[in-house]
Amino acid sequence: MSGDNVKKSIPYTVPIGPVHPALKEPVMFTFQMEGEVVRSVDFAPGNTHRGIEWMGMRRNPVQIVHLTDRICGICGIVHSLSFARAVEQIAEIEVPPRADYIRTIMHEFERIQSHLLWAGVAAHELGFDSLFYLAWRVREQSMDLIENITGNRVNYAIVQIGGVRRDISDDQRPLIEQGLTYYRGLLDQMKNVFLNDSTIRMRCRDHGLLSYRDAQLLCAIGPTARASGVAMDVRHDYPYCAYGDLDVHPVLPPQEFGGPKGDVYDRIIVRLLEIAQSIDIIQQCLDTMPAGEILWEKKMPKLLLTLKKAQGEAIGRVEAPRGECMHYVRMDGNEAPATWKVKASSYSNLMSWIPMLKGEQLADIPIIVASIDPCMSCTDRVAVIQGGSAGFLTKEELTRLSQKKTRRLIQCR
Amino acid sequence: MSETPYRSPQEIIDLYKTEFGAGILDARITERGEGVHRKKGYNIWIRLDRELLKPAIKKLMDIRFPHFAVIAGNDLGDEIELLYILSVFYGTQFGEYMVTFGLRLPKSDLTVPTITDLIPGALLSEREKQEFFGITVTGIPDGRRLFLPDDFPQGVYPWRKDETGIKPEMVRELWAVNRPKDRPAPPVPEKKPVPGDPVAEGKEKKTGGASE
Amino acid sequence: MKLTKSFNRSLWVFHLNTGSCNGCEIEIVATITPRYDPERFGMKLVGSPKHADVLLVTGPVTKKMAQKVRRVYEQVPDPKLVMCIGTCGQSGGVFYDSYNLDGPIDQVLPVDVYVPGCPPRPEAIIFGVVKALEKLERLEAAQ
Repeated sequence: MSGDNVKKSIPYTVPIGPVHPALKEPVMFTFQMEGEVVRSVDFAPGNTHRGIEWMGMRRNPVQIVHLTDRICGICGIVHSLSFARAVEQIAEIEVPPRADYIRTIMHEFERIQSHLLWAGVAAHELGFDSLFYLAWRVREQSMDLIENITGNRVNYAIVQIGGVRRDISDDQRPLIEQGLTYYRGLLDQMKNVFLNDSTIRMRCRDHGLLSYRDAQLLCAIGPTARASGVAMDVRHDYPYCAYGDLDVHPVLPPQEFGGPKGDVYDRIIVRLLEIAQSIDIIQQCLDTMPAGEILWEKKMPKLLLTLKKAQGEAIGRVEAPRGECMHYVRMDGNEAPATWKVKASSYSNLMSWIPMLKGEQLADIPIIVASIDPCMSCTDRVAVIQGGSAGFLTKEELTRLSQKKTRRLIQCR
Repeated sequence: MSETPYRSPQEIIDLYKTEFGAGILDARITERGEGVHRKKGYNIWIRLDRELLKPAIKKLMDIRFPHFAVIAGNDLGDEIELLYILSVFYGTQFGEYMVTFGLRLPKSDLTVPTITDLIPGALLSEREKQEFFGITVTGIPDGRRLFLPDDFPQGVYPWRKDETGIKPEMVRELWAVNRPKDRPAPPVPEKKPVPGDPVAEGKEKKTGGASE
Repeated sequence: MKLTKSFNRSLWVFHLNTGSCNGCEIEIVATITPRYDPERFGMKLVGSPKHADVLLVTGPVTKKMAQKVRRVYEQVPDPKLVMCIGTCGQSGGVFYDSYNLDGPIDQVLPVDVYVPGCPPRPEAIIFGVVKALEKLERLEAAQ
């Protein structure tokens, strides 16, 4: 008897990844476990390091804009937008106001489809596969609208230095408004399905806690920070594109849900409310869009000559669906930038995994890891070494563990 | 959430100049406005000595807890310049601005103190600078490699522009792998694009079309 | 696509990311949603390489992932097919000159079907899997 107790409390290590269950990107985790409870976590990114900044320092800014589109497929426009803003500040290029409004509309559409994508993935991790399919089906409407405006579902390639490449014509406006009405009608249903469901509340409430102080010290951003009560939103604090004319406030978990507690449930609330906010912003932009040019300079050689002469350094910052995305560029009179530093939004959020996962159970790992919406993809292999014998858990088994816990909780009510 | 009053960019620069005096080598404000109303956003750029880095960040934390974004770096030949990019006064509408502390490290003495005791979230950025520039961050709690694979050769620092940077034989041209060599000759003689010179290429194509 | 007699073959797919930007990932997951619905052909996304018939590989292979890709490939039981989705894995795409990449996927694994695009549309991915189905049946008939 005492021998069994001693065996149960021997700590063991669980390595997960790089092919991993909760995310679509490769990240290597190592969990120190005691029984079913996580004691500490360590992660090692770097599996998707393609040397983008180094490649960018050999190309000219127009070529880099096409490279930035493909830094991350889910955040379609944010990297191109922040890079273009940084270069425009250095070369002192004035972007026409109409281009600013079109950029804002695409930015908000990208936020809607990214949050719906995340809602589906989170539902899948909890065991609600039908909700996963429903959320992605609903997302197809915004993908159709994006394709109508830009020509592609992912990798929009609509941002050019000095403006945008395509305009929104008057016949496209009714289609966009139809799409917005569709989403407005659905929003109450989605809120009902996600937030009034007792099982989701049981699985997500009080799990994956990130306190206010931790969120500040570990530099968390985006919905992860807002769910913990830190009211930061680049659209509200540091105006860019058309946000200087609009009135956007950071979305915090409202008092009717208990105020900000910093758990997984709060992050779901923040993302759903942000979809509602995006719909309003797109409507406002469509109504008040000024007429005019969409590009500062249409002729490519002239643009490149201006960029070649530009000197200086600047920072471009936008609010991606996952937080703040920042690019630092320095140009010194050559065709290629002298320095280019990309800070993706998940870069800052990664450190918040450490306090969130302490004290949590093995079956909760997928949903907590996915709750900060990491822009990384993983497939998985989990090796569990328990008391001397080694076994292997596959992705299916880990997700099944998570789904079994849901069923157990339903039965114990 | 704190009670400290809001300060304008010029006030912050004045506060720093009074406290640190000659340690502040250079300070300037840049601004930008976008949208129809051209609402302005500001950035502060301050250059300091290496020893003043931690006191300067501590002072910023007393003014209002900042948000640490990233550490950027430049290779300037004999020196490496590190830029600590932070932002302060988030939460106030249209009132946030970026504060950048720049410091120059001579290549003979590439050490810089860690700031993870003040802001723990800076750990990833410091690890990244260690492996990409070859600087040593003294006092860092965890100095392992972050993004580069473990078998990447030691002593090669990808972002440096001198002889320790990436050598041409380390670069793999993926588009040239298995490219067939027996294609028929193109009608316009193919000019191999030089990276970074599409101006000449654009002009070539235009004149090629007009002469037909 | 012509219906063959042995349509009782339903392909189970395992998706492997070797360092891509995720654009192809979301198009692959969008393919299994009800709008395009490949489950009527019997295709489904499985969570382990040991249950899979087809390996969908995306992304240019980063140095860290090259060894792991080979290990996953060895775990997929025969007969198997490898499909390369997206241009990153075929010629590098925008990452055509990098120091951390081990080359197009066919330098690491033997590829059977290539689906180009950046990212390829879900319809293109379904077309690719159908071509893979035909190829598998050809391979079986040849044995």
